[in-house]
Amino acid sequence: MVVKNTRVEDRIARPIGENIPRIDAQEKVTGAAQFVDDIPFGPGLLYARIKRSPHPHALIKSIDTSKALELPGVRAVATGADTPGYLGLYLQDRHIFCRDRVRYVGDPVAGVAAVSEEIAERALDLIEVEYEILPAVLDPEFGASLDAELLHPDMGEYVAAPFVFPQPKTNISNHFKIRKGDFEQAWKKCSAVIERSYRIPHIQHVPIEPHIAIAKADLDGKITLWSSTQSPFAQRNLIAKGLGKSQGDVRVIGPYVGGGFGAKAGVTMEALVVVLAMKTNGIPVKLRLTREEEFYTSFVRQGLVMHIKMGCDETGKLLALENKLYWDGGAYTEYGVNVARAAGFSSTGPYEIENVNIDSICVYTNHPVGGPMRGFGHPEIHVGIEQCVEELAQKIGMDSVRFREINCIKEGSILATGGKMHANGLTTCLEKVAKAIDWGMKSQPSGPDKKRGKGIAIMWKAPAMPPNAGSSAWVELAEDGKVNVGVGGQEIGQGSFTVMAQMAAAALGVPVDWVRIAGPVDTKYSPYEWQTVASRLTWSMGNAVAAAARDARRQILELVAEAWNENLEDLDIIDGNVISYKTEETLPIKNIVIYGLPKAGDTGWIGGPVVGRGNFMPTYVTGLDPETGQGERAAVHYTTGAQAVEVEVDLVTGKVEIIRAVSAFDVGRAINPDSVKAQIEGGMVQGISTALLESLQLKDGFVKNPSLVDYRIATSVDVPYKIESIIVEIPQDDGPWGARGVGEHSMVPTIPAIANAIYDATGVRPDAPPYTAEKVFLTMADAGIV
Amino acid sequence: MANHRIRLRINGNLEEVEAPSNMTLLQLLRDKLALMGTKNGCSAGECGACTVMMNGEPVNSCLVLAVECEGSEIITVEGLAQDGRLDQVQKALIETGGVQCGFCTPGMLISIRALLDRNPNPGETEIRDAIVGNLCRCTGYLRVIQAVHEASKQQTIGLV
Amino acid sequence: MITAHPGLPEFDYIWPESLIEASKFLADHPGEAIPFMGGTDIFVRMRDGFIKSKYLVDVKCLEESDRITFDPEAGLSLGAAVNMNRVIASPEIQQVYPLLSEAAHTVASYQLRTRATVVGNLCNASPAGDTTGACVVLDGTLLVHGVDGFRTESLKTFFLGPGKTRLKPGDIVRAIQFPLPPPGYSARYYKLGRNASGDLAIVGVTVLGFPDDSAPSGYRFRIALASVAPVPLVPLEAEKILTNEPITPENITKAARAAMDACNPISDVRGSARYRKLMVRNLTEKLIREVWQKIGNGR
Repeated sequence: MVVKNTRVEDRIARPIGENIPRIDAQEKVTGAAQFVDDIPFGPGLLYARIKRSPHPHALIKSIDTSKALELPGVRAVATGADTPGYLGLYLQDRHIFCRDRVRYVGDPVAGVAAVSEEIAERALDLIEVEYEILPAVLDPEFGASLDAELLHPDMGEYVAAPFVFPQPKTNISNHFKIRKGDFEQAWKKCSAVIERSYRIPHIQHVPIEPHIAIAKADLDGKITLWSSTQSPFAQRNLIAKGLGKSQGDVRVIGPYVGGGFGAKAGVTMEALVVVLAMKTNGIPVKLRLTREEEFYTSFVRQGLVMHIKMGCDETGKLLALENKLYWDGGAYTEYGVNVARAAGFSSTGPYEIENVNIDSICVYTNHPVGGPMRGFGHPEIHVGIEQCVEELAQKIGMDSVRFREINCIKEGSILATGGKMHANGLTTCLEKVAKAIDWGMKSQPSGPDKKRGKGIAIMWKAPAMPPNAGSSAWVELAEDGKVNVGVGGQEIGQGSFTVMAQMAAAALGVPVDWVRIAGPVDTKYSPYEWQTVASRLTWSMGNAVAAAARDARRQILELVAEAWNENLEDLDIIDGNVISYKTEETLPIKNIVIYGLPKAGDTGWIGGPVVGRGNFMPTYVTGLDPETGQGERAAVHYTTGAQAVEVEVDLVTGKVEIIRAVSAFDVGRAINPDSVKAQIEGGMVQGISTALLESLQLKDGFVKNPSLVDYRIATSVDVPYKIESIIVEIPQDDGPWGARGVGEHSMVPTIPAIANAIYDATGVRPDAPPYTAEKVFLTMADAGIV
Repeated sequence: MANHRIRLRINGNLEEVEAPSNMTLLQLLRDKLALMGTKNGCSAGECGACTVMMNGEPVNSCLVLAVECEGSEIITVEGLAQDGRLDQVQKALIETGGVQCGFCTPGMLISIRALLDRNPNPGETEIRDAIVGNLCRCTGYLRVIQAVHEASKQQTIGLV
Repeated sequence: MITAHPGLPEFDYIWPESLIEASKFLADHPGEAIPFMGGTDIFVRMRDGFIKSKYLVDVKCLEESDRITFDPEAGLSLGAAVNMNRVIASPEIQQVYPLLSEAAHTVASYQLRTRATVVGNLCNASPAGDTTGACVVLDGTLLVHGVDGFRTESLKTFFLGPGKTRLKPGDIVRAIQFPLPPPGYSARYYKLGRNASGDLAIVGVTVLGFPDDSAPSGYRFRIALASVAPVPLVPLEAEKILTNEPITPENITKAARAAMDACNPISDVRGSARYRKLMVRNLTEKLIREVWQKIGNGR
């Protein structure tokens, strides 16, 4: 007799927890995987190029496009006159093409569609724009002051999400506050206080595939957009709103994405080509960003000026923290306003502190547009928090791992926003990385001119999204029992399609190689998904997929229960066969999932094509008081983790080499452990890259290094020989099989871990990342060490 | 601008094409011959996504003129699998989990294939050196390097 | 603001069949025809809008340009079109002129080195050129073919400024020739980039040393510095110290300091002047010591 298992929701069915290879890998290694630029459109395809502002801040006095229109081969020209609507995810603050003013070097002023990219490019020089230059705001603290030029005089009219608080007549587009506890008293009780300021530079995502979009506008006004996007549905929504169209008349198709990291969330350049396509009589138009344009005209990660003060008592208990964050949001902060909020409510770091004062201020500047980048403000804030914690621990003579163990967030801890922390493995992560790096033991440097040191940092992050961001999925089957799963989330390299297949297989009861994901995502056919961001797909879309698969399972079992006259609870689907625990009968699911089952005595049929559906939307996120930042539940959940590195610093050149690297993250449940580790490694390397190499060098509003020649990222020779990735699993109560996301998190603690290691090695702390050889060397030189 | 008639062999197939002087090999492959596997990441020889083999050696096809390829043998990612069987390097990359978004993958595979062609048993340093011109933003390189070790082992086993 | 275009500008590709034909074409079209070999610098700069040319003349395949010829009596002739990977792999170069291999190996990436050439690197005359130092200290001379036939150009006077050399319209370099290096010599090149390898040189230091009884110290050193001046810089004071004074740790430090004082680098997106100067000092000292270890017989 087959033993009945526990509830299907609870048991860990195969292939949950298995390391199945990526289901998209074969396509990708043969070059068959289709990205947007690979889609054939025939010789009629038009190409677009964009004319951009050469000034950081100026009024547009006039635009003359007549000569461009006369160039043979030019089919359409567009300007802000064509785009009165507003775009924006959390704050509608930008026009598709600039109308009365430009606000950053690169701001789109006009666009040309022509028969070739070369002709479109030539036509740009024929467009004459007259500017009246205005003073530029190039620093967020200054920008927040009343002395600064006003960049968005119409801010008061902008539509904002209810949890965003723009301050009209200033450059402040959001001001998030936490006021908790008795602040003034708390400082008096501190026996040690650290006060520091940090300037975190702008960086860019550098996806290997630059932004690209192809748009087609039918004569009846319906739009089709193919884009390299993390957010087909958000693009549909924002572009429809921006153009005054119905969402139902905008269709977005998202093929494979060659890297996103947040740069391809929301809308950046895609609306530009839609507008051009609306002028070409139904002929599709393709717009590709050059790598140089990718660096500063899509999204960048905004810079941060951070003033932090924290204090503890003599036992090492953190008593008070004050954090003033000025986000250099750039010309438009439609997305960045939520970075200020989400990082703001997490800017205690993963610690329980009774008295907290946070001001997280998103400021308009005449810099490139700050948007979401892996970590969403959390890498930046942890740079300061995790170094201050180190310094504070040192001040009271306590080992910093011990200091963190005392203060770090545990189950039941009170959060800065007033709610309670759920069960989590942060302490376990910290202990495991400390052990793995041999914390407390010094290792021998490889030569007389080298010094070694170790550093640790811990982190936390919740998915940053609106409280009602939803996922949905459908499941249908073919005659042979093969499963097709409809999703709205994107495969951007993180392996989402693979884990969704695993979850569908587990929830339905079929072998995983029976499952296909219905890509590319197409808003015409695919079910809604808010965005592929925030490390939310495994958790949120996974819930939806599992629900849809269970719904399909239920339909199949109800059919068979009726045909066999059995109880639903006695039936199951295992390996693609319906089985009865009672009679031990089995029946393959194929055919019945389409044709149903015949009634006895040839009297008809029951059943029909099985279509499972499911959705998931968190229902419990509460608002936060605009003055105190307090609320019962600020976020859906937190993923926590820790990283440790051992570095070797070269005293001759200042070069920092990563000798050892360890990561531990609490992912709730690793649906595909190898995939989780691959994410952890990739994120940590991106973190190492931003720690040692990356910054957009901004001067007078210009990015001085917008190319791969001078914006360096980690190459194969810059990574350590091994990155140890430790998976901790404290289940997420509402995650599929307990799973929680980890896509962003491995990039969050890396910079402070390295900064702490550099300090351990050399006794100095460079003032800000990146810790280039020059920065480290000159810091040591100024301290008299070299 | 001058136009040139070019004869060259691509993935074993003899091709005769016409191209203007300023067309790059990358543009020839993608825009004229619909071989979309090779990617454009920067047009400046920095990212390596456009890497193909030219006369047995890897080059950035965005920095080679089509006309310079007269009489050349070009291998792209589409030419790695033989008779429907994946090349050892392709299999290894799948197995080690060295494919994420896949955009750097075609160029990476060419660099790896060329490396194993010239040295079937490369050490760690030589492997890293061989792919330093192939930028990857997703994997962090470790699994790619592992795949080369794996492919090298498998190739040796295959020979014995 | 970088004004990089999506593709290359229009030009006519010219493929001459002989040096004479090539020189004539280039001389007949001054200011509108440029020669190229690997193209890795020229194409990038054309795309960025820094170079415009009506004609691009491919001089890769001209007679004998792809040869590596080593004569144990006379020295090395390295053809202009020999790509850097071949320089790195050549057994004769590895054996007799390992500095050339070492320097070439630091360039960019394997793919770029399939196309890049040492001669191209020199003619490009970027202050950051990785092989220029090696060619200078190994006493390279360029074999140039112009409208008046062949002539030689010493590297000592070849570089006039960033991107500027003594070459005139019609000039094509056929090869770079190196005499036999001094017996008992050792040499090193250190390229300080931002990544652990590859990249461009923020500072490049080449040091060559050899025993020489005619020198008061018993040794002579040749030093060349990249990325710290408009042209490859030879710090003569530093070389003089090592020629005239005993090779001691203190004098090595003194020579390194003199090398630092000889240069006046700029600050740019890659590095500050202050850092560059300090790195000249540190790396020159490091390389002199390493070379001294090899040639000084443990003195």
